[in-house]
Amino acid sequence: MVSLTVDGIEVRVEPGTPVIEAAARAGVSVPHYCYHPGIPTRPAQCRMCLVEVEGQPKLQPSCVLASGDGMVIHTTSEVAEEARKSVIEFLLINHPLDCPICDAAGQCNLQDYAFETRQLASRFHDEKLVLGRDRVADDILYFGDRCIICTRCVRFMSDVAGDDALIVAQRGHKAYIDTFPGRDLDHPFRGNIVDVCPVGALVHEDFLFKARAWDLDRAPSVCSGCSTGCNVTLDVKENQIVRLKPRYNPDVNSYWMCDYGRKHLVMSNRGARAEVPLVREGDRLTPASWEVALDRAAEGLSASSGGAAVVSPHACNESLFYFRRLLDRVGIEGGSFRVDQGDTATLEGFPKLQLRADRAPNVSGAEGLGFSRADEWAAVSGGALLVLQDTLADAPAELVDGRSFFLFLGSRLSPLARRADVVLPVATFAEMDGTFANFEGRVQRFQQALTPPGMARPAWMALSALLARLGDGDGTITEARDAFAALAAATASFDGLDWDAIGFRGVARDTATVGEGA
Amino acid sequence: MAYPHDHELEVRTLLSRHMGDPKARDLETWRRYGGYEALKQAVEMDPDEITTVVKDSGLRGRGGAGFPTGMKWSFMPKDDGQQHYLCCNADESEPGAFKDREILRWTPHLLIEGCLIAARAIRAEHAYIYVRGEYFPYTRILNAAVVEAYEAGIIGEKVMGSKWSCDITVHIGAGAYIAGEETGLMSSLMGGRAEPWIKPPFPAQAGVFGKPTTVNNVETLAAVPMILSNGADWYRQWGTEKSAGTKLWCCSGHLVRPGNYELALGVPLGEIIHDVCGGPPNGKKVKAVIPGGSSTALLTADELECVTTYEGLAEAGSSLGTASPIVMDEDTNIVAAIRRIAEFYAHESCGQCVQCREGTSWIAKILRRIERGDGQPDDIDTLYHMCEQMTGRTICVLADSVVFPLKSSLDKFLGEYEALMPRSGVVAGA
Amino acid sequence: MSGRIHPAVVSAQPFQLPERDPDAPLFDTEAGKERVEMVLSRYPDKRAATLPLIAYVQELRGWVSPEAMVEVAEQLDLTPAYVRSVATFYTMYNKHPVGKYLIQVCTNISCHLNRAEEVLERFLEETGTLEGETTEDGRYTVIEAECLGACGFATVVQIDNEYYENVSPEKVPEILRGLE
Repeated sequence: MVSLTVDGIEVRVEPGTPVIEAAARAGVSVPHYCYHPGIPTRPAQCRMCLVEVEGQPKLQPSCVLASGDGMVIHTTSEVAEEARKSVIEFLLINHPLDCPICDAAGQCNLQDYAFETRQLASRFHDEKLVLGRDRVADDILYFGDRCIICTRCVRFMSDVAGDDALIVAQRGHKAYIDTFPGRDLDHPFRGNIVDVCPVGALVHEDFLFKARAWDLDRAPSVCSGCSTGCNVTLDVKENQIVRLKPRYNPDVNSYWMCDYGRKHLVMSNRGARAEVPLVREGDRLTPASWEVALDRAAEGLSASSGGAAVVSPHACNESLFYFRRLLDRVGIEGGSFRVDQGDTATLEGFPKLQLRADRAPNVSGAEGLGFSRADEWAAVSGGALLVLQDTLADAPAELVDGRSFFLFLGSRLSPLARRADVVLPVATFAEMDGTFANFEGRVQRFQQALTPPGMARPAWMALSALLARLGDGDGTITEARDAFAALAAATASFDGLDWDAIGFRGVARDTATVGEGA
Repeated sequence: MAYPHDHELEVRTLLSRHMGDPKARDLETWRRYGGYEALKQAVEMDPDEITTVVKDSGLRGRGGAGFPTGMKWSFMPKDDGQQHYLCCNADESEPGAFKDREILRWTPHLLIEGCLIAARAIRAEHAYIYVRGEYFPYTRILNAAVVEAYEAGIIGEKVMGSKWSCDITVHIGAGAYIAGEETGLMSSLMGGRAEPWIKPPFPAQAGVFGKPTTVNNVETLAAVPMILSNGADWYRQWGTEKSAGTKLWCCSGHLVRPGNYELALGVPLGEIIHDVCGGPPNGKKVKAVIPGGSSTALLTADELECVTTYEGLAEAGSSLGTASPIVMDEDTNIVAAIRRIAEFYAHESCGQCVQCREGTSWIAKILRRIERGDGQPDDIDTLYHMCEQMTGRTICVLADSVVFPLKSSLDKFLGEYEALMPRSGVVAGA
Repeated sequence: MSGRIHPAVVSAQPFQLPERDPDAPLFDTEAGKERVEMVLSRYPDKRAATLPLIAYVQELRGWVSPEAMVEVAEQLDLTPAYVRSVATFYTMYNKHPVGKYLIQVCTNISCHLNRAEEVLERFLEETGTLEGETTEDGRYTVIEAECLGACGFATVVQIDNEYYENVSPEKVPEILRGLE
């Protein structure tokens, strides 16, 4: 370990640690553009992170300067601040200053630093270079005039994605970012270039002009696109998810996520939802209060014995847990789920991050709670049918035929689901708190980002209320942490896990116990 | 000036002795002139002995920076089991400089011999000669000499019949000044954009193809054979303690006899301009001289008594650079001249560092505007501020290179700038 | 190309020639294959052949089209985008077709001090074209060049691969006649 001083604060780091990272550990944030901790090459070209090093005549780029014992660093000395201010001035001379229509406004490093260094007037009296906008992928636009040529995007593609498809064309003040003509980016992880862009030069077209950064609510979450469980932030405007951004987690997805994940959830905003409990009146489903619907469900289940259960690997662990308890109550064993399959893709520079074939976030959790993956629909006929969050869109009619009672908990109603005796409208994962277990059994929490529509509730809440009516358990659970505590106490594969300890980085489960059942 | 031109101040060492003599390009004649004798000696020597001689001679890099050559060689690792490379920098593109061209076109075998001796000293078995693309006619001459030397067993397997082998590959650029910067050169040689990289890693640690590399200028390498043959002391008969030997000068601009001259280091600059080159034509007076190529600070007519050594020109507030004085007579529009230099740097900036990418073109825009009479009151302050912020802030020294001529012209010829300013716009500060 | 080129100098062949064929095949001929192989033999890394192969394209065709960049990329297992980033960095690679005679007039400092702008103007006048554009008959492209490295012999003009030194505006017509 070496010891160095950054702005008067002593910090100990591994020898060779870049000073910018040592400074961060001392709580000092050094402004930067080209440096990105997730991109291995460090060209030190933006010259924004220059710091003063005592005993060295020139300012040094802290992104590549190796920490040495006894180094004394000043990041806010007059000469360092002047240099930084000057970089901002240089960057702004050809910048269009179109913040009012720029998607990055409010979360733009150029805007922030320009504001911090109070550069509100320009000494530039000449004509700005105009580059206009271009397309670099079918879903990504490039605004050349805003670009500061930090080359993070280029280096993400070459160093992390392993595809030299994005380049700097020309040189000097004529340089710009481009693809080869007619060969737009088609890499399944290309969307990360938008995230690494420190300004508004690269923009997702489906987000273009959609929201101002300061109008967005954000919630830490987990991508439900596949079983990898990338840590994400859900950006929400007016109770709609407008985009997903990867959230750093070195054990899962680093700084990245795939484009499939980015898109599938935004798409899920669409379509009609089940918003009120429904109960069967003859051949019709009619709206009812939760009281009435739960009473009817309790009645129907009390009169049933045995049957079949279908769940979805999109259901969270807490819901699956209470569903399992309900099945025990009704005398149904096992239960099956189906997993949509898709193409896989791997991020070369961080191979653990894959778009996995299992297009569901909680396969491992469902297995851990005793449900099994099946291609066929319920093998058991007769008795009750209980369905948790599978839409039954692809299910055969025989699944429903001849059941003594059919309880459906879901957020959308397919024709087959409409044959239920009771429908309980449930929240999607984005509308509640809960946990998923990813492909390697890692348990990860997500936080509510949206208000559920109408009367929809978390399934674990509805199920705990229903169980209470059947004389089982702890009464209605209203907090996901309590649901999780009950789950952890009762389930071998979740033994010893703690809601707070899971936090928003997740906890790796002992994979040996995965799949042993409840 | 065409060869031969004889001036009493000229020293015709091997560096320039055969310039103007087309026969010197042939191996047979070159051998008759004593060519490859130094190499014969070198292949029998221990590499470190060669380095010691060059170190003792005081030879400094002739590409502009003036780093001691022997010391540079001594940075190369020993017994590291890796391939080492020598890169000969023949990407001569500093405005004002045209000396390497003369070596390439008149005495290519001298360069080849220098490359091989240097390669031996740094334990390299492959040397690349990176020639600027525009130099087609001279590359052709070099190519012929390289092929001839291969066929004669001088380059390749068992150099001069010794146990040591060394290849030479000639490689040409394609129009990029920045490829003359040593890391830019290596980036280009590796098949990339000629973008300089931040050190470390230093070339001697991880240079071209990730291997220990030394980059030397053409003139530096061409001086090596005679130093090895005649010894360090012989070379030190010219110049000073810190600036030993002779130097090929490139004199251009307003001169009666522009051209290349080999001179001992230390001649007063005024003598080179007036005596050797005959001063400006038509009896005009000198207004300013940029002494070391376009990236050095400009001197006024009153400052020409300085001696042309590395230290002498540093004392005068400029630098020896590539020893390429660009002379401007009394009628010269200084603003236009500096504008033209600024345009060059804006055109040649690789575009990595913000200060350089944006600053060079901003300077050129301001100067163009001042030149056409549209100056703004704060332009001069802005130019000064940029000079400050473009010095020592970037990966390489291209940004600094525009600052030297610009700032010195502001300091010494501010009146010329002010005279172009619109009447209403009173120039502030400076 | 007449005669076999020595591998040591294969990466240093003139590539701005008046004789060229815009449709010349590149790498699927014997000569093309030999060129690639020879170039590759001089470097420990394939990528190093990027400049020599771009130059080869221009040597044959007079310019480097996007399609040719794709072919270079294929030869070296690079992406076409990478080849483009390299090709656009260097000014001597023509990204558009140029006239049979590419006339480059240096206007940098030493030439600027010796009437270079007038020389440039004269070339434009005599050829009847605009800077950077090509005459309708495809004979001439006149461009302003940065330092050509022959400053003691200002004004310096390069036409294709040849240098013309001490060019004054008055000498321009004669130089053009010499090209006929």
